[in-house]
Amino acid sequence: MAQAQVPVTVLTGYLGAGKTTLLNRILSEQHGKKYAVIVNEFGELGVDNDLVVNADEEVFEMNNGCICCTVRGDLIRIIEGLMKRKDKFDGILVETTGLADPGPVAQTFFTDDEVKAKTRLDAIITVVDAKHFLGQLDQGSEAEQQIAFADVILLNKTDLVSEDELKKVEAKINSINRYAHIFRTQKSQIELNAILDKGAFDLKRILEFEPEFLHHGHDHDHEEEVKSLSLTADRPVDPDKFQKWMGALLQLRGPDIFRSKGILAIDGAPRRYVYQGVHMMMDSDWGTPWKDGETRSSKLGFIGRNLDGENLQRGFNDCLK
Amino acid sequence: MKLDLANPAWRQTLPPGRSVAGDAPAVACAFNKDGSLGGFALGDGRVRLLPADISAGETAAGEPLHGGVVLALVDDPAGDGFVSGGDDGRLLRIAADGRTSELACQKGKWFEHIAGHRATGAIAASAGKNAYVVKAGEVREFGPHQSTVAALDFSKDGSRIACAHYGGVTVWSIGQVVLPPRRFAWRGSHVALKWSTDGKFIATGTQENDIHVWRMAQATDMRMQGYPAKVKSLSWTADARFLYTSAQPVFTAWPFSGKGPEGKPPLQFGDEGAGLMTVVAAHPAAEFVAGGYDSGELQLGDIKTKRSVVLKMADGSAITCLAWSPDGFRLAVGNEAGTLLVLDLRR
Ligand SMILES: [Zn+2]
Repeated sequence: MAQAQVPVTVLTGYLGAGKTTLLNRILSEQHGKKYAVIVNEFGELGVDNDLVVNADEEVFEMNNGCICCTVRGDLIRIIEGLMKRKDKFDGILVETTGLADPGPVAQTFFTDDEVKAKTRLDAIITVVDAKHFLGQLDQGSEAEQQIAFADVILLNKTDLVSEDELKKVEAKINSINRYAHIFRTQKSQIELNAILDKGAFDLKRILEFEPEFLHHGHDHDHEEEVKSLSLTADRPVDPDKFQKWMGALLQLRGPDIFRSKGILAIDGAPRRYVYQGVHMMMDSDWGTPWKDGETRSSKLGFIGRNLDGENLQRGFNDCLK
Repeated sequence: MKLDLANPAWRQTLPPGRSVAGDAPAVACAFNKDGSLGGFALGDGRVRLLPADISAGETAAGEPLHGGVVLALVDDPAGDGFVSGGDDGRLLRIAADGRTSELACQKGKWFEHIAGHRATGAIAASAGKNAYVVKAGEVREFGPHQSTVAALDFSKDGSRIACAHYGGVTVWSIGQVVLPPRRFAWRGSHVALKWSTDGKFIATGTQENDIHVWRMAQATDMRMQGYPAKVKSLSWTADARFLYTSAQPVFTAWPFSGKGPEGKPPLQFGDEGAGLMTVVAAHPAAEFVAGGYDSGELQLGDIKTKRSVVLKMADGSAITCLAWSPDGFRLAVGNEAGTLLVLDLRR
């Protein structure tokens, strides 16, 4: 039976950033929609709702032995269980713990066929505490990873810092993830339409992605830092060469590449080829057709660690006709 | 046994039986001990009890027994009805007359998997990372396991239970003497488990589309790969000679007599279904087998003659559960659309 896939929104962010406030608002506001919420701590939510499910963030490593190929098996189980309900809902929200790596959650939606058939990952929202974010970055890799994976960032508690400090935080966020949409908020106040049903993982909507141009220059001494980079090409892509290059790149560098997406002008193909990946896992499809006379250019975007833009661009150039 | 499982007439019309439209997806089904009732667990919290006798009158849908989804249902090994588990954290005993009593409650957890052992009357059920054994009114806890228990089963003699979780299987002795559990390790997430009917093997289906089987005596293991999807349904034949597995378009049985299945292809027979088999159930006594498909088809087969017949359901909804009556004459079938069938397969 053809059934619309239920959108799943993942909510990450440090403890105290405002995730629970946002969840409580989504659950209590009158918006005419019904959401199931998967949380890691029951007690925190103020509302009593039978659509709130407790999860333990059970991550397992896949049998390929790769450190980045990790999946939330509990999510597969819970989503399967929720889908057996008679009463359907408009969306699922998954809250992660403050120190969670968003990778396994996202990869769950690339891995499991039944989860893929019944739900779709809509977007990853990261709630950031404007006052403490820069300090949290120094405490470990989690804060950085949560920014790197995000499609939407709520820069929250903006009332507690000056405009100068805010600009500094935004600049830092931008240097990690150029593609995320940042909203400044206080007490997690945000129009829900702005953050739900974004289609950030929807291959059909990938065309809305506008990569920034590659910034050459002085970032070589900060290579361990997470950053975003884009590659472009105006000549058509040789599909075999591209597949080989990308396959080898992900095999070798998958753990360091958090997210990637691309729109390719394949040599001789009337349609765009679009793909989207998390670490080594990837989905791809044919997108919209090129119009007559339209410039057929290809764009790739990466967010990751230890990325050498010039080297990547050279590799990509070798895939062109 | 007077069963004609390859009756060509059934290609056009379903065998005689009872068909009821449930209000929610069917999650699990079973027959009670004397085979007089087919029980169906539904996604709206109800458990529908349908008389196996076609001439008997219809029963009412009844009130929901669980708060959300009924996640598991087995025949009650110590009673005349069923045992159900739900996402409301309750494990219930349902008598044949519909009366219920609570066997266990784990608030905030889901009672997801249940197994029963007829000879000892013991019930094993899992909620979260723990398994619980209910016997003679006493509830004992086994665990916690390293992750939520994803499947469980009794040994042939009922003295042990096996629990599947991340990283393999844990076997607990459930006698009064507390023994340390035995662990059988294999990396990854194990999502289905069946102990062989002769007690010699434990089989699991994994998240990564393969099957893992441990030989109890030597604690050696084997892995069967090449499935296009997760194998969520496993079923040993009554004589333990074959292990049927879902996730193939035809009946797929691994031979466990003689030297075992290593290095051999599985035995495959039957018509190629329109999709993949979602659930498979070996007959409780004879060489027959039933398989349900994601396309809604139902196939009945005979491993001896390799004959089979495909039955088409009207609504084309994926089959979610199958159960044979204890005498093997009837088959309970449920699907995602909530169609509940009790078919009479006697000739
Ligand atoms: Zn990996």
